[in-house]
Amino acid sequence: MKDIEWSRINKDVLESLQSPRPLFWVVIAICVLVVLVGVGAEKYQYDNGLGVALMNRPHYWQLYISNFVFWIGMSHSGTLLSAILLLTKADWRKPIYRFAEAMTLFSILTAALFPIIHLGRIWDLYWVMPYPNERTIWPNFRSPLLWDAAAITTYATSSALFLYVGMIPDMAICRDNATGWRKPLYTALSLGWMGRAREWMAFRKTYVIVACFLVPLAVSVHSIVASDFAMSIVPDWHITSFPPYFVAGALYSGCAAIITLFVMLRYLFRFEAYMTEEIMEKIAKLTFAIALVWNFLNLGEYVSIWYSNDMFEKEVLIQKFIGPYAPVVWGMLICAMIAPFAMAFQKVRRSMWGMFWLSIVLQLGMWLERFQIVSPPLASNHEPWTWSVVWPGTIQLTITAASFAWFTMLFLLFCKVFPSISMYEVKEMAFHRRREGLHDEVENIHDIQEEIIKTERGLT
Amino acid sequence: MKHPKYILFATFDNFTKARDVVMELKVLDLREKIIDDIDLFSPIEHPDVEEMLGEIHQPIQRFTFFGAVTGALCSFLLVAAAAQSMFTVQPQGGKAVIPLPTDIVIAYEGTILFGVLCTLGAFLAYAGLPRRLSKHYNEKVSDDQIGIEVTTAKENIGAIKDVLNKFEPLEIREITQ
Repeated sequence: MKDIEWSRINKDVLESLQSPRPLFWVVIAICVLVVLVGVGAEKYQYDNGLGVALMNRPHYWQLYISNFVFWIGMSHSGTLLSAILLLTKADWRKPIYRFAEAMTLFSILTAALFPIIHLGRIWDLYWVMPYPNERTIWPNFRSPLLWDAAAITTYATSSALFLYVGMIPDMAICRDNATGWRKPLYTALSLGWMGRAREWMAFRKTYVIVACFLVPLAVSVHSIVASDFAMSIVPDWHITSFPPYFVAGALYSGCAAIITLFVMLRYLFRFEAYMTEEIMEKIAKLTFAIALVWNFLNLGEYVSIWYSNDMFEKEVLIQKFIGPYAPVVWGMLICAMIAPFAMAFQKVRRSMWGMFWLSIVLQLGMWLERFQIVSPPLASNHEPWTWSVVWPGTIQLTITAASFAWFTMLFLLFCKVFPSISMYEVKEMAFHRRREGLHDEVENIHDIQEEIIKTERGLT
Repeated sequence: MKHPKYILFATFDNFTKARDVVMELKVLDLREKIIDDIDLFSPIEHPDVEEMLGEIHQPIQRFTFFGAVTGALCSFLLVAAAAQSMFTVQPQGGKAVIPLPTDIVIAYEGTILFGVLCTLGAFLAYAGLPRRLSKHYNEKVSDDQIGIEVTTAKENIGAIKDVLNKFEPLEIREITQ
């Protein structure tokens, strides 16, 4: 990143709140339209029952649960990477962590919709909450579904607070420069921040402590989501390595989503000076490394099923590769297992639009991966007389499309109202780089002086 | 009768200058005991802030620890108590009424949730937030300037202003508290 003046950083980022490219409004309009269609589909399902979504025994879990796992996975990378990179003092996180954390928040909000949609009887949603039994309701504390409710509530709350606390100094900058309806909003959110020494000290300490909590929390959330499957007795779900496999998959799809949003924001809000090729290369390397871990765990899963010699597990595995869901599995392998090797080449890693399309392919692969985890094992279960192949119907596909539109709409509106680049952190980065640069220059001057002295001594 | 205090708020264009001003003001205070308080305002955290103002005691981590322990206990007890209350109506089939692995998972999440909430509570308390903006707050501080706030009595304003002016401030504001 170039050495950018502090006031210029404020100006560039604040301008992005006012005047994005016209394409921004086109994307928002399309998203609103798709969300409205999705709301219509949900209303139809609500009125007529889950049968219209083609969900029936044995396919009681299908696309809604795949989507839930996909969105929870996507929510992983933002906060987790932001926290890990903060603790490891990787300063290239500074221009990207804000939108990555926002991505986490909106993904988890999108994910939280799916168990509700999946319930069918959404008026009974409160049954999942653990409370004493005056109404003879029996929440099963041994069920990972109930752990999910606790974990996701904790993750959503902590991620939202982490995002908000990190934004307070920037809210003060917005407050000092805003007019109209934005002024009272930023004034309220900045809490009277003035940049005093004690504010900064408390802020730094708090930010690091919360980051320390978020790392194990993020790992636990996706491990618990994996337990939803792993603690059942369904063949191909009852796998010990599911929690780490899910965590790696979540990080992988989240990193791919960060790349997609990185390129999108860079173009829509004209952030070329901040979201540079160097940063893209670092994210691409990280994504590639995580893809390799995920590849290893995926292959490990196949191998452990094969050598376990469990006839049911093997049957499901074989059916995955040659059965009716084979196109999904092979599509997943091509998109998520083979495609990431393109990132081994620097030319690809440094190409913005190349990485954009590659990240879309990776996310498609990871979405297919979630589908092939959920549906094929239910299609060839322990009981052969229940075997049947059901593909998601129009209602499920419409609601799925609407979830993507919902996420994009929320995310872009957030970036329009709040700064998607952390101004104070970019200032810090510029300051420290400038100071290191000056330090290097001073050291060079000392070297030159010593050389001159030696030369003069030599001459005399 | 309480004497009114005066606040001088000067802004500077770089951290080095701000550090030199604070150091000189401290020397002046050591000699003449005329400054009640010095505070620093900056767009990013000043790298030498502890050297300049000394360590500001903010034991936020103690609140974190308290929150985490409380969260762990409360979550465990909530689930255990809820399970107990169901004992009379829900057949357990020989399973433990209070299953430890399950309760540990919920307690783990509770530890983190309460730990985070208490940390944020402590942050607000030690940072003095939320609060109204001071009358003398200069909006340039959130942009690219560094502000130094000096609280003193009326008769000392001249001496302090001399020190501030020596370092060519961009602006000095004077307010009665």
